[in-house]
Amino acid sequence: MDWGKVKFFLGEVLRNFSRNTGMQLTAIGTVAITIVLLGLFLFVRGALADLGARLLDEIQVSAYLRTDSTAQQVAAIEHFLARDPRVASAQFVSKKQALADLRERTKGTIDTALLTENPLPDKFRIKTRLPDDVPAVAASVRRLSGVDNVVYGQKTVQRLLQLGAVLRRIGIGVIAVFFAVAGIIIANTIRLTVFARRREIAIMQLVGATNTYIRLPFICEGLLAGVIGALLAVALLAGARAALWPRLLEALPWAQLTLMPVDPRVLAGELVAVGAAIGVVASWISVGRHLRT
Amino acid sequence: MISLRGVSLVYPNGVRALENINLEITKGDFVFLVGDSGTGKSSLLRLLYREVGCSAGEIVVDGIRVDRLRRKRVPSLRRHLGVVFQDFKLLADKTVWENVAFAMQVTGAHTRDVMRQVPRVLDLVGLSHKSRMYPGELSGGEQQRTAIARALVNNPKILLCDEPTGNLDPANTTEITALLQRINLKGTTVVVATHNQAVVDRMRRRVVRLEDGRITTDEERGYYYLGLGQSQVLSG
Repeated sequence: MDWGKVKFFLGEVLRNFSRNTGMQLTAIGTVAITIVLLGLFLFVRGALADLGARLLDEIQVSAYLRTDSTAQQVAAIEHFLARDPRVASAQFVSKKQALADLRERTKGTIDTALLTENPLPDKFRIKTRLPDDVPAVAASVRRLSGVDNVVYGQKTVQRLLQLGAVLRRIGIGVIAVFFAVAGIIIANTIRLTVFARRREIAIMQLVGATNTYIRLPFICEGLLAGVIGALLAVALLAGARAALWPRLLEALPWAQLTLMPVDPRVLAGELVAVGAAIGVVASWISVGRHLRT
Repeated sequence: MISLRGVSLVYPNGVRALENINLEITKGDFVFLVGDSGTGKSSLLRLLYREVGCSAGEIVVDGIRVDRLRRKRVPSLRRHLGVVFQDFKLLADKTVWENVAFAMQVTGAHTRDVMRQVPRVLDLVGLSHKSRMYPGELSGGEQQRTAIARALVNNPKILLCDEPTGNLDPANTTEITALLQRINLKGTTVVVATHNQAVVDRMRRRVVRLEDGRITTDEERGYYYLGLGQSQVLSG
């Protein structure tokens, strides 16, 4: 290992970095703001997805059987459900049990003793592995003989699934815009550094330095700006979460928010990686444009 | 060492800088390119270190076909050449030592070689005692000596100089001229574009004269003005 070389290289990077402090701070600040927004967005999306997943999780398919269904048909339905890979669990609930459940649930409000006969049908209570499979499973169960009706809260499920898809699309759009803004600002900062160092670049080219070598310090500079900005953002987000989250939980107990819908360490890692990537790509393009002309 | 055959250069803006240049420079030569401003001296040098590509013809420098050189190979050509300019092109925030070492460091030289080679060239140009000074603290001649040291530090076989004494007073001009001669005596091929009559007439070396982008004369031991010594011009 040639430490002299390393020292020279790092010296060049730091010299660049400290040369136009004002512009560097602007770039770092913009990256930080972008990453804070991105982090907030990912966080909110995570919380919503978490909430949605739990709501969807509770949704189950109830397949009511015809009153004249035979034991053979019940066995056939049971067999079908057991073999379907989309089905997580299927439970047969007899009319007797259904009535008992109803009595339990409505205790004190409705006097079920008034009933002269049991009006409830037998049913299967079905849970799917994925919420997305609910409509399809419901449809295929409806076709089985002996099944009278299938109910799964169609409207709710479909709306939740749609909401999820819309959020995903908006999310991708917003993230793309954030990326572009941060990238453009870093690229401009690097362009200023490149301009400030054009004499050095000209000399490097003159004495036969390769374009890769000339690029490297600028790439490192962009990387540094991206990473510092991202770390700043992560610190801000962590501080904000520590201060605001408990109060949010208190204010919205019905939302059943989990304490942390996304793993904070994973999110922090992702955000720093994103910052680094913005820095590298932006500076690469910026220097490349200069070297070609 | 350097060979140009039927070389023409037309800049993108349509200016015809050089037309049908044929020139052979052998190893160890010392050649002056003379002519008025805008006759193509600098353009010819730029072709040699591939700052611009020629429009027609064949250029060979130290065995490399420069006219066919791919962009990615340009750095390897430049490592075979040293180039010196009128404005020195030194970095103001680096010392003499750092300016010279820079040329080695950015081409990936090992630190051990830098430590050995830089003092050697600084000694050659006579600046060992000023290696810690910044360009702003040096005279014009010393700055140009620093630039020459930088051009030589990678041991090029060819040294190209574009108006090396253009910014210097007569005393410094003499000093730089003597240095170039010393470098040539050590075996380096030296090509100097200049319109300094005194330098050319004192040295009496090969003189290639350019007029309107064409070579008009090529003399083995020439003067700045065709066939005339300085005194004859002055008296005539």
